Amino acid sequence: MKGTDMRVRDSLRSIALAALLIASLEAVADVPPGNATHGRELYLAVGCFECHGRMGQGGYFNYPAPALAQLQLPLEAFQALVRLGPHDMPAYAETVLSNADLADIYAYLHSLPGRRAAKDIDALNK
Amino acid sequence: MSQRPDSRTFGRRRFLKNISLSGAAAMAPAALRADESAAASAAPTTAPMPNIAAETLPPSADPVTQSSSGGDFMLEVLRALDFDYLAMNPASNFRGLHEAVVNAGGNQHPEILTCPHEEIAFAMAHGYGKMAGKPMAAICHGTVGLQHGAMALYNAWCDRVPVYAMIGNLVDADKRLFGFEWAHSAIDPAALVRDFTKWDDQPASLQHFAESAVRAYKIMMTPPMAPVLLSLDAELQENPIRDRERLAIPPVTRSVPPVADSAALAETARLLVNAEKPLIICDRMVRTPAGLGHLVELAETLQCSVVDMLGRLNFPTRHPLNQTGRRAAVVAEADVIVMIEMMDAFGAIHSHADRIVRRSTPLYRPGTKLVTLGCRDLYLKANYQDFARFNAVDLAIAGDGEASLPMLTEQVRRLLEERRRSAFEQRGRKLAQSRKEMFEQAQADATLGWDASPISTARMSAELYAQIHKEDWSLVGNGINVWWPLRLWDFDRSYRWNGVAGGAGLGYNAPAAAGAALANRPHGRLSVAIQGDGDLLFVSSTLWAAAHHRIPILYVVHNNRAYHQEYMYLQAMANRHARGITNAHIGTTITDPDVDFATVARGFGVHGEGPISDPKQLGPALARALAVVKSGAPALVDVVSEPR
Repeated sequence: MKGTDMRVRDSLRSIALAALLIASLEAVADVPPGNATHGRELYLAVGCFECHGRMGQGGYFNYPAPALAQLQLPLEAFQALVRLGPHDMPAYAETVLSNADLADIYAYLHSLPGRRAAKDIDALNK
Repeated sequence: MSQRPDSRTFGRRRFLKNISLSGAAAMAPAALRADESAAASAAPTTAPMPNIAAETLPPSADPVTQSSSGGDFMLEVLRALDFDYLAMNPASNFRGLHEAVVNAGGNQHPEILTCPHEEIAFAMAHGYGKMAGKPMAAICHGTVGLQHGAMALYNAWCDRVPVYAMIGNLVDADKRLFGFEWAHSAIDPAALVRDFTKWDDQPASLQHFAESAVRAYKIMMTPPMAPVLLSLDAELQENPIRDRERLAIPPVTRSVPPVADSAALAETARLLVNAEKPLIICDRMVRTPAGLGHLVELAETLQCSVVDMLGRLNFPTRHPLNQTGRRAAVVAEADVIVMIEMMDAFGAIHSHADRIVRRSTPLYRPGTKLVTLGCRDLYLKANYQDFARFNAVDLAIAGDGEASLPMLTEQVRRLLEERRRSAFEQRGRKLAQSRKEMFEQAQADATLGWDASPISTARMSAELYAQIHKEDWSLVGNGINVWWPLRLWDFDRSYRWNGVAGGAGLGYNAPAAAGAALANRPHGRLSVAIQGDGDLLFVSSTLWAAAHHRIPILYVVHNNRAYHQEYMYLQAMANRHARGITNAHIGTTITDPDVDFATVARGFGVHGEGPISDPKQLGPALARALAVVKSGAPALVDVVSEPR
């Protein structure tokens, strides 16, 4: 029974994640309300940069850690993912990072420069 | 034979009895040669004055020179096996063979590689074996040396790489002298590594050695390849040869790799040809330069997806059918998956959650036909679990992947129908488009943080490639999970990439890269390695060995100042408890003081650049270091870089 509950919970979780990811396809138009400066401090302090890079460029743990600079994901979806921690990402409880903290981190990620045109960087065209 | 004093009588009484020798021995005529005097005469019996020298001098009749030794014959055997190098850290219980190699053999064929640690010796042999396509021999002390070297043998075992390991041992307890000779002897020294070597022996005679040496070579080189170990008795190495005319070295005949059953391959071909979305996954398939071409031929015939797990370079990274970066997606859509020479077939087709509740979930759809082809099923051992989780399949074919591929391709061709050709081509075009998009995405992702400090691993990789892409380059090592080269670089030949450690034991990358660079040297290839800082600290004296032996290699240190994988794991543990990661750096980071690897390199006689933390300085530093490498010497660039 416990196993069944877990499977149901997993299914719901998967559906929720899928919905969030679909939502992420819609670009976030407005400048987010959080404090980007505080967000940067938190981003470094709680170790987001360990996998995702200081400039949100992405990295790798046992699975690819996606790039987060100019994240195209609604704040609510971002908060839900951080609470859950997909794959091998550590889940962050509210006692460690409040929703307000996550909003600040979110603002920091939006303050980071996004991708440039690779054709303008000679070393990336070999 | 060498005469060792009888410890049971080597006491005060005998000392007093023999002290008259002190003067006499000094004036003795030419001493006897061991092979001229099989039995030394009894010691004199007069009792002269006590003298310290007397306690150290043997009876005058003891031989002091000899004209041959077992080590000389062992060298002949090693030459018959065509070893170019013998990696070692010197040790007394193989001094007989050591002396034979440097004097009787003139330190040629094999040439000794002086390694400052046994782990370095075995890891160099590991890296060399993969790149050269022929094994390297390595030797160490039977107890203390083998314990140092065991980790490297384990990596080679997991990586299915031949390493011809030898150790010295003093078998006869009656011949052991004082303390350390006992500590350095064992009745079964190979037991330490028997779980991760394919075969071992401790020959009791020179003829026994010759036959076991050839047998070991043959077993080691038969897929699945793996290290073997011979324990060489010190007495056997050092004693004169009594009956050279009786000794014979068996001809070295290598076993032909086992080709899979033709009916099973025909069934696999039928599945692949009839599939809508066939997928081939390879790990350690390529053994020779021909292997990569075989896989390209099969994939292009089918116009199917290929995923390379990169235990070897099995498939060109920029090939339009290479879907490695979309593994989860192509596994999910496949209706037939053929997995060749896999370390972990289960792991490749499941997703895994490293969480409080650990679980693995299939990435493939129910009903997908699963086929494995490889030597994995032919040989396993029980204790160490490198064989990975059991994976149920529809068809398991025992046979060497590379040797079996041409027959599989031929079977596929026989089944191809003209009417399906256009469908195949359409499939191929879609895959090519996906591959193109993946590459463009990688280029765009690499621009993120391009000018940041610490330097991004994308920029570190791109700056390096920009300077080597027109050369005949070879990436002989890669620190843990620096994946940018595999996303951005054009790996088009098997020697462009030398795989990974196998057992993921630190201390592999630096020496294995040096071994591979040594194998590249006669071909004039430009060897570069991305080197983790934690790994280099385990085996930093590899740099001295590279300088001493003039091994041209560029180490680009990915210096994230941490055992970073462990840092991330500790972060995960802390988060489970909602305790934050304030203390996750304790025991995982390498700071305070920061290691200055360029200075370390210079101390070992290696050109050192850095630490480089300004990305604008990276290109010029790499250029200076590469100029040194092209002149035939090693160089190192310390890049203060992002964690991943």
